[in-house]
Amino acid sequence: MAKLITVDALDYVYPDGTPALFDINLEIAEEEFIAFIGQNGSGKTTLSKCLNGLLRPTQGSIIVDDLDTRQRGIIKQLVTKVGYVFQNPDHQLFNRTVWAEIAYGPNNIGLSQSEVKERVIEAAQVAGVHEDVFDTHPYFLDKGLRQRVAIASILALRPKTIIVDEPTTGQDVRQSIEVMNFLKRLRDEEGHTIIIITHEMRIVADYAERTVVLGKGRKLLDGPTREVFAQPEILKQTFVEPPQITRVGQALVEEGLPNDVLSVEEMKVAFNRK
Amino acid sequence: MNTETTLTASPERAAKSRKTLLGYVPMVSPFYAFHPATRLILFIFLGVTPLFIFIPEMNILLLFVNLALLRWGKVDIQQLKIYMPIIFTVAIFMFTVVILAPGKDPNYTPLEVLGKTIYYQPVFFTFAAYWRLIAMLFGTILFFSTNRERELLVGLRALRLPFVASYVVGLSIRAAGMFMEDFRTIREAEQARGLDTKAMRFSDQVKLYMMYLIPLFSIALRRANEISNALFARGYTLTGRTSTGKPREDYIRSTYSYSKRDFVAIAFMIIIFVVTGLTQIFFNVFAIEHSPLNIFLRQALGIPS
Amino acid sequence: MDAAIKFKDLQWRYEHRTNFALKGINLEIIKNDFIGVVGANEHGKTTLVSAICGLIPHSYNGIYKGSVEVFGKKVFDSDALELATNVGFVFSDPEAQFTAMTVEEELAFGLENMGFEHAKIKERIDWAAETTLIQDLLDKSPYDISGGQKQRVAIACVLAMNPPIIIMDEPTSMIDPLGKNLIFDILRRLKKAGEHTLIVVEHNVEQLAPLADKMLLMYEGLVDRYLPTREFYSDSNYLQDRGVLAPESTEFVQWLISEKALPASINLPLDLAGGIETTRQALKRR
Repeated sequence: MAKLITVDALDYVYPDGTPALFDINLEIAEEEFIAFIGQNGSGKTTLSKCLNGLLRPTQGSIIVDDLDTRQRGIIKQLVTKVGYVFQNPDHQLFNRTVWAEIAYGPNNIGLSQSEVKERVIEAAQVAGVHEDVFDTHPYFLDKGLRQRVAIASILALRPKTIIVDEPTTGQDVRQSIEVMNFLKRLRDEEGHTIIIITHEMRIVADYAERTVVLGKGRKLLDGPTREVFAQPEILKQTFVEPPQITRVGQALVEEGLPNDVLSVEEMKVAFNRK
Repeated sequence: MNTETTLTASPERAAKSRKTLLGYVPMVSPFYAFHPATRLILFIFLGVTPLFIFIPEMNILLLFVNLALLRWGKVDIQQLKIYMPIIFTVAIFMFTVVILAPGKDPNYTPLEVLGKTIYYQPVFFTFAAYWRLIAMLFGTILFFSTNRERELLVGLRALRLPFVASYVVGLSIRAAGMFMEDFRTIREAEQARGLDTKAMRFSDQVKLYMMYLIPLFSIALRRANEISNALFARGYTLTGRTSTGKPREDYIRSTYSYSKRDFVAIAFMIIIFVVTGLTQIFFNVFAIEHSPLNIFLRQALGIPS
Repeated sequence: MDAAIKFKDLQWRYEHRTNFALKGINLEIIKNDFIGVVGANEHGKTTLVSAICGLIPHSYNGIYKGSVEVFGKKVFDSDALELATNVGFVFSDPEAQFTAMTVEEELAFGLENMGFEHAKIKERIDWAAETTLIQDLLDKSPYDISGGQKQRVAIACVLAMNPPIIIMDEPTSMIDPLGKNLIFDILRRLKKAGEHTLIVVEHNVEQLAPLADKMLLMYEGLVDRYLPTREFYSDSNYLQDRGVLAPESTEFVQWLISEKALPASINLPLDLAGGIETTRQALKRR
């Protein structure tokens, strides 16, 4: 798979002097599904904001599709490569209608009106935003739909990589599955790379193929989710615990259970194989 | 618990200062030996005194007093850099206005400067007003660099502001803080959608600020509801009524007490304030005509007083 | 056994809504029980607990039929102070419940409302701060502490007022793993002391189930199931149908029973340690 983003020896220090990231190296390829996990203050969000150029590296570099994020005046190009969906949709809905909201990004990057229209219709369709609500004020939509409008407004910029901050916070089981399946479809059918930032380990186990673990600004682990969850000692450094069923397996390795099952279904298979 | 605090702030900063809504205050400062009421009176004193003084030199002197107090108070002077843009913007704005629109008065003295006619009196008046404003600004900076929100509230209550009013002040500061955090996030969200504010015309930037109001108010509306629920759940009574019928204790205030130095400092400030006020009101001592710089310039330029 | 809370056919419809959010609740909660409340969103969990602490009907407009009694007194006839004295409430958003400028003032606010004297206020604050591990934070401002810390402050505020009933509505949904663990630690301590009726709405069943004496499932505005925790989880498929998960090890052991790898008489595990032990037994029987 082609490389999309290369992070090389990245350090980030906030303008007020607070150091947030140390020596991060990372490569992100096409069509990946990645989770960033770790305690608050571990640097997940800071790293994500560096990836789409909201924050510029203090040291080291980030190359997105041949663009160096340290260059000035490339915001308009960068946002068409890496999209960022904020945790609270209310923070990113600032237009008077849903249509204007989705059209906002394409307008900013200077597309023609016919192109803007095409992109809005396409993005709304992919995100499941029905045209009945195009003239509605985003404030009056329910939370799930506001989140979909927020995602549609990013999709309209057609970024290859989409970062979603806490997609399932405050959602129940069914709503979470709905959101996550939608993100999975974006990857499977539209070919996007998806990065989620989350505290829900069941979600990570069920959806992310690769997991990056951050702790106190450093990258602690990076690999297939299965291998990452098989190292509970390192996860503990950033206060993360693998899903309960994984830990049942890990406690019973001597009795012959694997240390890397990710779901109850996998555990059933492993048990039967014994 | 220490893990959590050290994760969120850098050790050096955490050791030297702590965060408040308007910036940072030092961890230790000689100001903390004074009662919050004394500090609030100092703020009022430094803020109101310049109103009696029209002589720019004296206000500049007052500015130095402020700076000396900031140093004495162990405030990190480096942090004051963030106020430089305000100081310059105000200067540029005030002088632009007075040069472009000086008003008309037959007594004004026209001067030719770089091929443009300016008038001496309004320009000097603006100069004096500017330093007065800066002196007041530094009084404010001093207050917020050495007092946390809690001390402001205790100060207000000690000066007999009713509990309800001071609680509303506190809630407003809290709301303003949330407002500012939301504002920052919204700006980032716009940038994430390809908005490059640096490449924008001024008029478009103004329009942009109007746009922020939509999400800010959406969030504020949703939150107002939650906050009022939280107050309900704590059994709030803004009337000051309590469930036992006894008068309401002011716990936070009771944790501070006055000492001799508070009375000395307050007396000192009141005396200076009264003397300055009276001499100005009755003898006009601090009038702009008494400014040595003004007198010197008028003589040099041959302007009659 | 004493009932702390009694619902008698309570119906409630929010203003501007067409459907009743609660459609006739009959429920008795025994004093000093720990009740876990689960259910899909929009099925009435928050509405149910709001009716106990009095936010319904006192802070919302709507149609109210039937009654809720707290220690024998109707919520409808009680005022904010009376209710706050009996029922403490912790909300899910730590941001929105922090109304004061320092942690200590936040704690003092409710106590001042109750008319306590200075010494008593100090004693209560110290005790609550110790129980929630926030002693170091007392003089900090809300800008200086994390979401998890704010949530612990919110819990401390409720504890300081020492109400016999404490309700928490998704207290951990907006905070990080360490913050979550600390909040469950506090709940564990409170349960052990056994002096409070605790009602906790929570999606995180793996940490909730081991603590709860009983679980309550809200479904379409009604109490669908209200049983001792082990019995409650005896049918994971039923729960899944209603949008609720069982702890993973509970679900797995149920499957082991259905596969006859374990006898039906075995105690269902509710926590990790139980899950490991029971699975070990099943492996030995092979």
